[in-house]
Amino acid sequence: MHRAAMSQVTSRRALLLGALSVPVLAACGGGGEPEAQTPAPLSTDPVELSVFWWGAEARAKSTEEALKLYTAKNPNVTFKNTWQGNQGYFDKLATLTAGGNAPDLFQIDDGALSEYAERNVTLDLTPYRNNGRLDVSKFPESLWKYGEIDGKLAGVSTGENTPGVIYNKQLCQELGIAEPKTGMSWAEFITWAEPVYAKSGNKVYGTMDPSADYKALWMWLRQQGKELYKDKKIGASKEDVTKWFDLWADARKRGAAPTADIIHEANGGDVTKQLVVTGKALTSFLWANQITDVQKNTKQTLGVMAYPGNPSAQWARAAMYFSVARTSAKKDRAVDVINFLVNSPEVGKLWGADRGLSANLDVRKAVADTLTDPTAKTAFAFETDMAGKFGQAPPVPPKGHVKARALLITIAESVQYGKASSADAADQFIKEANAALG
Amino acid sequence: MPRSVKGSSRTREGVAGYVFLSPWLIGLMGITAIPMLGSLVLSFTSYDLLSPWEDLEFVGVRNYVRMFTEDPHYLHAVTVTVVFAVVAVPLKLGAALGVALLLNREQRFTGIFRGLFYLPSLLGGSVALALVWRAMWAKDGAVNTILGLDGPNWINEPDYALGTLVMLAIWQFGAPMVIFLAGLKQIPNELYEAASVDGANRWRSFWHITLPGLSPVIFFNLVLETINGFQGFTSAYVVSGGTGGPVDSTLMYTLYLYQSGFTDYEMGYASAMAWVFLVAIAIITAVMFSTGKFWVHYGDGSS
Repeated sequence: MHRAAMSQVTSRRALLLGALSVPVLAACGGGGEPEAQTPAPLSTDPVELSVFWWGAEARAKSTEEALKLYTAKNPNVTFKNTWQGNQGYFDKLATLTAGGNAPDLFQIDDGALSEYAERNVTLDLTPYRNNGRLDVSKFPESLWKYGEIDGKLAGVSTGENTPGVIYNKQLCQELGIAEPKTGMSWAEFITWAEPVYAKSGNKVYGTMDPSADYKALWMWLRQQGKELYKDKKIGASKEDVTKWFDLWADARKRGAAPTADIIHEANGGDVTKQLVVTGKALTSFLWANQITDVQKNTKQTLGVMAYPGNPSAQWARAAMYFSVARTSAKKDRAVDVINFLVNSPEVGKLWGADRGLSANLDVRKAVADTLTDPTAKTAFAFETDMAGKFGQAPPVPPKGHVKARALLITIAESVQYGKASSADAADQFIKEANAALG
Repeated sequence: MPRSVKGSSRTREGVAGYVFLSPWLIGLMGITAIPMLGSLVLSFTSYDLLSPWEDLEFVGVRNYVRMFTEDPHYLHAVTVTVVFAVVAVPLKLGAALGVALLLNREQRFTGIFRGLFYLPSLLGGSVALALVWRAMWAKDGAVNTILGLDGPNWINEPDYALGTLVMLAIWQFGAPMVIFLAGLKQIPNELYEAASVDGANRWRSFWHITLPGLSPVIFFNLVLETINGFQGFTSAYVVSGGTGGPVDSTLMYTLYLYQSGFTDYEMGYASAMAWVFLVAIAIITAVMFSTGKFWVHYGDGSS
């Protein structure tokens, strides 16, 4: 009882403080750049922060080492680390949050950021950016802004990432097929993929069919001046989506893309099941930084290119973020830890491109100079090249995106399996996705 | 006076009874009853797992209406679950009864066989088993190889995926089999002897002695397995990677419920689904009990 009463008092006090700080912030906002302030020193009492992230073992190791670096600099701060694989991560995070045990700081991606920010789970980091505890001045502006939702800074980007087509470079050479290149149109790309099946002795298809991949659909729409999400609705018309499904139905018919059952395996998202790993196709539609992960699962040399079409449809996208729980009792400290993780060159070197290309440009440069792993170098070179081609960033996907993303998989598969026509499926997708977003 | 003495000793016994019951009562209240009531309340709200409690909105029966009028995936999940239960439960019970009859005869190694047939049930709802299942039904998996088929990856075919889950359920017939075995032992041998003296063949004695004698056990297994069948979750979740795919073909009711609650953050809606589910299972069970009197024979003469 006593405890509950206490926490209520604190939350009221926090509310009061929040209300008081609004006019102050408003005052700061008036003069463009907020005045440089020094944040109040942090308490040196022993404190333990809970940290939660998804990833593989290598990431766990490098994250733990990074946090140890922080402890070395701030001996009163220790960490309680929890991590797990991607699958089930968000179920767990949601359950922890619902139970009032949200981790002090946690990893999140732009699929879930709106879900959490719009529901007020994440702490608004704007005041910390203003008072200097959180320094994003070395970030590309579009990148840190890609953590803002409804004007609140909900997460700090750990790094930059771009959707990328990861392809089997070695097999291209063996089959005597030119490597695919960034800038190819979708039609050219499918034409490039078509002869692979015959040339490989009916063993390998040219390309994965990405019609269930929301990133691919999004890119394709942006290349036509449209968006996947607009005003919290699907930004495409039924005709657009029909055309998208038809494009790939045709690719399957021509033998450029595999049959539905093979596509289905890869649609699950598991790196080990990607067709470029299982050898069933030359390409997989993933994230560019996943090339390091994918490379670990195959002996073939891999390459990476942008999604087909004009690469200006891409933008500096946050690979993932760190967010602080609004309910955390150690907010200031948690923000300080994030500030350390994203701005420390030592952490940058520990992480390489694992959480995307370091968001801090100075760190990014320092990391680039120390890379030795050829795959990481490829990823870095690709992302650096892309940085010059980026277009305007859209807003972060809205609440309901997670469901819309899952709906696209189910509905695109119904076309792939021949259970629905492209037009019916497009109609169903728009209707159901809009319901999920609304 | 004697009365009040009796009364107080009764009270004292009552208190002692509750004290002994308390671990169970606390468990029932804390883990089952109170959360259940909580979910009933939540089913009338827009609870989304993440929002603070202040934002909780009561939406009346909105969630219940939505289920039946606006959500094709829900109705689809109901169909998948009913098909699964209707196909898997009788086949599983049939397999259990058949094997129980074979193992009922006292022969060498019967004990070992009983153990072996029970084994799959021990592995039961385990995740590991579902993963093995996934591998077995793959394109180059054990099933296609052993049958010499150039078959598809059965789990990736919307038309067959549910079938593989049915097979998995049937394969785990050990638990009802053991209960059938116990039931078979209860049927007096004299009945069979009398029947054979009267010249009944094996089929007739099975039909007129074994089945009626076994009917309470069949009834028990039927009720239990039906409830189990409707609740199938683990195998569907693991085999489909949590999606219920391909194309919702393995979207069992409980899996969709889980997705709604934990993936789509619609816990209010999921709670409503859970309550509809509970009521549906209660009705099905009640119907079974009401038909039971027509075909379940208890040895004491009451039918």
